[in-house]
Amino acid sequence: MKILEGKGVSKSFGGLKAVSDVEFYVEEGEILGLIGPNGAGKTTFFNLLSGALPMDSGTVLFGGQKISGLKPNQICRAGMGRTFQAAKNFPGMAVYGNVMMGALFGKPGRSASEAEQITDEVLDFVGLTEYKDKMVTDIPLSAQKQLEVARALATRPKLLLLDEVMAGLNPTEVEDAMKLILRIRDSGITVIMIEHVMRAIMTICDRILVLHHGAKIAEGTPQEISTSKTVIEIYLGES
Amino acid sequence: MITVLNIIITGLIMGGIYALISMGLSLQYGVAKILNVSHGEFIMIAAMLTWVFVGLGIHPLLALVLCCPFTFCVGFLLHITIFRWLNINSGTAAAYESNAMLLCFGLYFIFSNIAMQIWGSNPVGFQFMEKSVNLGGAIIAVNKIIVLIIALAVSILFYLFLSHSRLGKSIRAASQDPVAAGMLGMNIKKIMAICFGIGAVLAGIAGTLISMYSQVNTGMGMGYTMIALIVVVLGGMGSIPGSMIGGMILGFVGSIFGYIEPSLSMVAYYLIILVLLLVKPKGLMGR
Ligand SMILES: Nc1ncnc2c1ncn2[C@@H]1O[C@H](COP(=O)(O)OP(=O)(O)OP(=O)(O)O)[C@@H](O)[C@H]1O
Ligand SMILES: [Mg+2]
Repeated sequence: MKILEGKGVSKSFGGLKAVSDVEFYVEEGEILGLIGPNGAGKTTFFNLLSGALPMDSGTVLFGGQKISGLKPNQICRAGMGRTFQAAKNFPGMAVYGNVMMGALFGKPGRSASEAEQITDEVLDFVGLTEYKDKMVTDIPLSAQKQLEVARALATRPKLLLLDEVMAGLNPTEVEDAMKLILRIRDSGITVIMIEHVMRAIMTICDRILVLHHGAKIAEGTPQEISTSKTVIEIYLGES
Repeated sequence: MITVLNIIITGLIMGGIYALISMGLSLQYGVAKILNVSHGEFIMIAAMLTWVFVGLGIHPLLALVLCCPFTFCVGFLLHITIFRWLNINSGTAAAYESNAMLLCFGLYFIFSNIAMQIWGSNPVGFQFMEKSVNLGGAIIAVNKIIVLIIALAVSILFYLFLSHSRLGKSIRAASQDPVAAGMLGMNIKKIMAICFGIGAVLAGIAGTLISMYSQVNTGMGMGYTMIALIVVVLGGMGSIPGSMIGGMILGFVGSIFGYIEPSLSMVAYYLIILVLLLVKPKGLMGR
């Protein structure tokens, strides 16, 4: 079953077409990779899906319901969680408080005790329990990335959008992040991940979608993408 | 010794009032991104309304309670109508911030002129617990002590509201990162409108309290706006504890200069700001 599908999704900034007429779908339970060179429009695409930016045109259905045009809080409550490429945490709160915000407000009518229970579970799930009383400015980068994921998970999403959660991590940490994403999928959450770490994308994604200058230029299994002429040309042309 | 005690008590009272109005301004700026230069007009309106209520035979403390829903509704409704419209039409966040400040200048003129048309510009007042008590040698009017207690109680309640209530937590989250807060299920637009309303309530409470121990007039607002602006810069833009501490500091400075040479108070306030901005540009509690 398709959990998310969209047609004609477009966004321009002045004359720049950041996302241009993208048609896509995401199967329930899969990990979809979203790749493309810097400035390809990947983060903008996430902003459109999550309602952080209004789209110029196009429709997106989430679980069969139209979500394009809804506000971020409504899309969150429909079951979509996301992380931000440049970590957007609440610097005045400890790690625990940050995750608690997702738990408290992610769904309407959650009681404080329910939210606390969810927060504990999620902190344990991503492996952040040891940092829970630390201020977010005092924890290492890898923990900050985990915190982004934890906070989104605390809303209890059906679909999770991850924007470069592996950027800046060392190989061991990348390994851990890959395992975490697989565990998230195994817990029943569909994942779309933007990533520049190719090894991770190729290993854990079921399918990959390639954006270039805002347009979708390829879509397929890791095998198909890694052998696609167009994709190889773009990446070679870049470097 | 008695003079020192007098200065301290007066400082506490002024500080309490300054803290209230500055927390309100800080909330409006920190969360709703509106530098509300018409803040003082909410103080003035509540002060004048209290005077009207008392004239109708209503007890000042009841007037205090009556003014709260009124100022909240004015603030909230202004936000969901003209400020939201302005936000939609401003394009960028930076453009909205400057447009919103200009709009507040407009509100300042509208509110102060309407009030002047209705009530004129002469000072008015009423009598409320004017008996004095002797506190260790310092002679203080009972009404001032009541004002101090209410100001401190409201400040503490407000702080507890922000740190412990569900709505308060969402307000803090929205002030620290509205985009992330929205993505976690919080309705940012509603939170901003509520914050603008609460800011107006805090100003209104201060206005009623001021009317309990001194005369008030329709031109009183701008002076308080200036003080609130100074305190908010002093405490750190958008920091609520910073506004509380900054308000207290300014209250004490005002109290000391009120004793030495009242006309120098404003100069002293600006000197403090100048020194602070050189030493700690982001304010006492600024991040
Ligand atoms: N809010 C904005 N206003 C104007 N231009 C923007 C805005 N957001 C993104 N852009 C532009 O849109 C294009 C796509 O940016 P986007 O951040 O989506 O790329 P990306 O694929 O995520 O890149 P990266 O891999 O570097 O994160 C870029 O040229 C960027 O400068
Ligand atoms: Mg990006």
